[in-house]
Amino acid sequence: MTSQPQAIENSARDDNAGVVLSGQSIAKRVSGPDGNLTILHALDIDVQSGETVAIVGPSGSGKSTVLGILAGLDTPTEGRVELLGEPLSELDEDSRARLRAGKVGFVFQSFQLLPGLSALENVMLPLEITGDKDASVKASAMLEKVGLSERSGHLPLQLSGGEQQRVALARAFVTQPSVLFADEPTGNLDSETGDKVVELMFSLREQQGTSVVLVTHDDTLASRCDRTLRMGNGRLEAV
Amino acid sequence: MNLTKQLKFAWRSLARDLKAGELRVLALALLVAVASVTAVGFFTDRIGRAVERQAGDVLAADLIATSGFPLPEALFESIDNRPLDSAQHIRFPSVVVNPRDESQLVAVKAVTDGYPLRGTLKLADIKEPAVALPSGTSAPEAGNVWVDGQLLAALALSAGDTLELGASTFTVSKVILFEPDRGQNAFEFAPRVMINMQDLAAAELIGEGSRARYTLLMSGPTTELEAARDFINAEYSDQVRVQGVRDGSPQMKRALDRAQRFLGLASVVTVLLAGAAIALAVRHFAYRQADASAVMRTLGATRNEVIVWLSARLALIAIVASMAGIVIGWLAQLILAKLLAGWFGLTLPAPGVLSPIIGMMTAFIALAGFGLLPIIKAGRVNVMSVLQRDYSGLDSSSLVASALGLVATFLVVFLLSKDALLSAIVVLGVVAMLSVFGIFGRLMISAVRAMAGQRFRLSTAGLQRRAASSVVQLAAFAMGIMALLLISIVRVDLLAAWEQDLPADAPNVFVVNIQPDQVEGFAKQLESQGIESTGIYPMVRARLVAHNGKSIVNDEASEQQLRRARREYNLSFSNTLPLNNEIVAGEWWAEDGSAPPLLSIEQEWAEERGYAIGDTLTFKAAGVETTATVANWREVDWESFQVNFFAVSSPAMLEGLPSTYVTSFHIEENFASATTGWVRQFPGIATLDIGAIITRVKSLMDRASLAVEYVFLFTLLAGFCVLLAAVQSSQGERIRESALLRALGASHKQLREAVVLEFAILGAIAGLLAAVFATGIAWSLSQYVFELPFRLNVWLWVIGIFGGALGIAVAGYLATRRVLFTPPIVALRHAN
Repeated sequence: MTSQPQAIENSARDDNAGVVLSGQSIAKRVSGPDGNLTILHALDIDVQSGETVAIVGPSGSGKSTVLGILAGLDTPTEGRVELLGEPLSELDEDSRARLRAGKVGFVFQSFQLLPGLSALENVMLPLEITGDKDASVKASAMLEKVGLSERSGHLPLQLSGGEQQRVALARAFVTQPSVLFADEPTGNLDSETGDKVVELMFSLREQQGTSVVLVTHDDTLASRCDRTLRMGNGRLEAV
Repeated sequence: MNLTKQLKFAWRSLARDLKAGELRVLALALLVAVASVTAVGFFTDRIGRAVERQAGDVLAADLIATSGFPLPEALFESIDNRPLDSAQHIRFPSVVVNPRDESQLVAVKAVTDGYPLRGTLKLADIKEPAVALPSGTSAPEAGNVWVDGQLLAALALSAGDTLELGASTFTVSKVILFEPDRGQNAFEFAPRVMINMQDLAAAELIGEGSRARYTLLMSGPTTELEAARDFINAEYSDQVRVQGVRDGSPQMKRALDRAQRFLGLASVVTVLLAGAAIALAVRHFAYRQADASAVMRTLGATRNEVIVWLSARLALIAIVASMAGIVIGWLAQLILAKLLAGWFGLTLPAPGVLSPIIGMMTAFIALAGFGLLPIIKAGRVNVMSVLQRDYSGLDSSSLVASALGLVATFLVVFLLSKDALLSAIVVLGVVAMLSVFGIFGRLMISAVRAMAGQRFRLSTAGLQRRAASSVVQLAAFAMGIMALLLISIVRVDLLAAWEQDLPADAPNVFVVNIQPDQVEGFAKQLESQGIESTGIYPMVRARLVAHNGKSIVNDEASEQQLRRARREYNLSFSNTLPLNNEIVAGEWWAEDGSAPPLLSIEQEWAEERGYAIGDTLTFKAAGVETTATVANWREVDWESFQVNFFAVSSPAMLEGLPSTYVTSFHIEENFASATTGWVRQFPGIATLDIGAIITRVKSLMDRASLAVEYVFLFTLLAGFCVLLAAVQSSQGERIRESALLRALGASHKQLREAVVLEFAILGAIAGLLAAVFATGIAWSLSQYVFELPFRLNVWLWVIGIFGGALGIAVAGYLATRRVLFTPPIVALRHAN
């Protein structure tokens, strides 16, 4: 949230051709009641700037774990992840957070809007974190883009599931991020609402040239992405 | 984001929090904490000072400096230069002669204008001796004397009579009905004659070597009085004795100490409860903010930024709540002070500035102590929880959290009591109490679960499922109920015991100077009037000459020791232990009169002077030196107003030496009519009416009790705050559970029953534990703090258990009603 590393700034904005996200030999092991459990086995992944990648797989296959590691929310037991040209494994948790600020957007299955904040205030949040003085203006404009300007004063509980996810999309895109991570973005929505949300997400991504990594079990949603990777037995395979 | 931006962001978040009701309970807890500490502080400060000022009546001043020699001019100059009011009096024995040439030994008191500085002199015109005049503070006019009822009767004085006193003749103008500082010199039993200091020189009453006591009276601000006391002690300790309110009458001292302890107890309990409410509320807030901080971190905020964001909000809410609390506290004490000002018959001193500062510090210490670790944990929440919804790391019941909480408790109590030992005891007490609440609470919940039938399964399952938070809730409920029990029952019991400590039939008349040959006749006289005395005790006046064979007057003796050597003590002898005395060390001697010369010394007196058991003390009475060994230490109930002695010997030491006898008793009727004829029948005896002093001590008790009752209102408020915070702390879990149960088909009735029963069970268990502790605390308070008799109160248990069940069930139901009536779909969405 303080000054951004210049290298990140350059790598993120230079052109649409570079790799924005790269993971090599990522492994994740956790200790369980029956000893160590390997969730991920030596995964490799590269995401180009402007590319959309879907990760599909059954429940419990480790999709969200991969997403968390790629976004720098979690660390791999082994392997190397580079986000926007920065090696995540060499950064501590706070440096990883700074790297994400304003550059990385998130959309979650359970929306993750702050219940005490209005729709507008939720959208302002990432801008306030980066200290943007025009947070309110930009957030209002973004809410208008997602068709919720009239609901800007409503609290999340007063919005429908679809509306909440649209607010979440506005929050994710308001900083014009280089990469968007989406975890089952339609998982809590009916198919019609889900379709509208997906439509909106891809339209915003198109406008901003954002790379997207999304996790889903929905093959239709996955088919809208440039590439689909399937998660199984702790490994990623191209589909 | 730099710090300014972070603070601005926190401020905006706070506004949203308040709007959304996120911080309502915490804000309320803080507000009550600050308001109560401030109000109690303001109030005890003002009342304390007023009580002290009233207690000053006994000295007729806040501070007096007394000497057997004329007070140095430099001392007067120094006191005149301080912002203190002052007056003087000189007391000495003399003889007056009436126009019929009848003479009487009198105790003369020459006073300056302004006497008394505290309390009032009640006077009546000589023409109408029974009608009190409006009180004032001026000395007799030049050439006039004021006399008390005793002299009026003894010399049959009437309007226009004159009295010869020394070289002057005075006109008797007024009758002294009440002299505030008369109790100071209870054994100055000769009738009072008061003159103006200006007449003293002309009357040629005092010369070099005269037996006179010179007193400078002072009153004013406490700090100035303390400075004056220090100055006099530093400069004139060899010749001047300084005495404040607390150094005076032992009865008043005890009453004042107890009043302060009651008020102190009220503020400590209040702050502990408010602290508990803050602890619960801040923990709840931190848990609720875990989601938000994970999202913030996902969006790029660092851990420290999130911690600053969370703690700045708490600090801001603490400032806002403190300001509101100070205003409310100030208003509250204003109302109370107005109510009580009439009772005190004087304007209360203005409130000091310290109380709001202490109130605010209490809020911040409690917030930091109880909130810092949960906030840090919330700030450091595993950021993957946004994907996995796992907040298991948030449990803040760690050793560090507990230690921080205890440090905060210690600091807060220390801030109020300024007593490290007491604070440590309170902290240990809290640890013990919470441990017991935790352990027994958990056991009882399991027991209830095991015993519950099908019908109660849902409620007891809820308790068991939320075992950790149920135990926390239970401890909070128990603490709240305990405070309420302490306030509602123990307070009444303790205050009643205090009042009973000075029974209605406490002796109100002292008779001294009864000659040995009059004892039998006087006892019969009392009996014939139906008066029951507390015993007629011999009294031998003696000076202390040696301790362990070493003369008190020697080259190494301190001024204090020399002063003691000059003083005459009233000793008594007896075969049996005096009434209401208790042996605390050593043993009483053989009661058959066979005991060798032995001494029984009052404990505090012995400790202060270092008279150990086995030491020998030599006294000189009527030119005869007599030595005895200290056999025991006695505890004396000075508050009983019975005849008591610092030193009592076995008859072998003092019997045979010139002695007079002294007794005390209670009379219902008018003092004058009861004692009519005694002086003629038993020449030389002196009667002293101390009813007025008793009335004053009693009125001090009454007022202090009233103040304590008002102060406890805040404790009550803090207790309710704890209950509220405890009920709210489980609301989130309840929302999720009831949504699920509703979705599964549970009816409103079933959910309502489950919630009410669950809270009732918690309330009953908490009430039982609270009753156990309230009884224990009441016992220890009465034994060790207030030194009053303890009485087991069954109501404590009945109200604790049933009142707890009912009260908590109602409070719990009201607090969660919104959850129960929320449509399942909204509740489920909220739950997500």
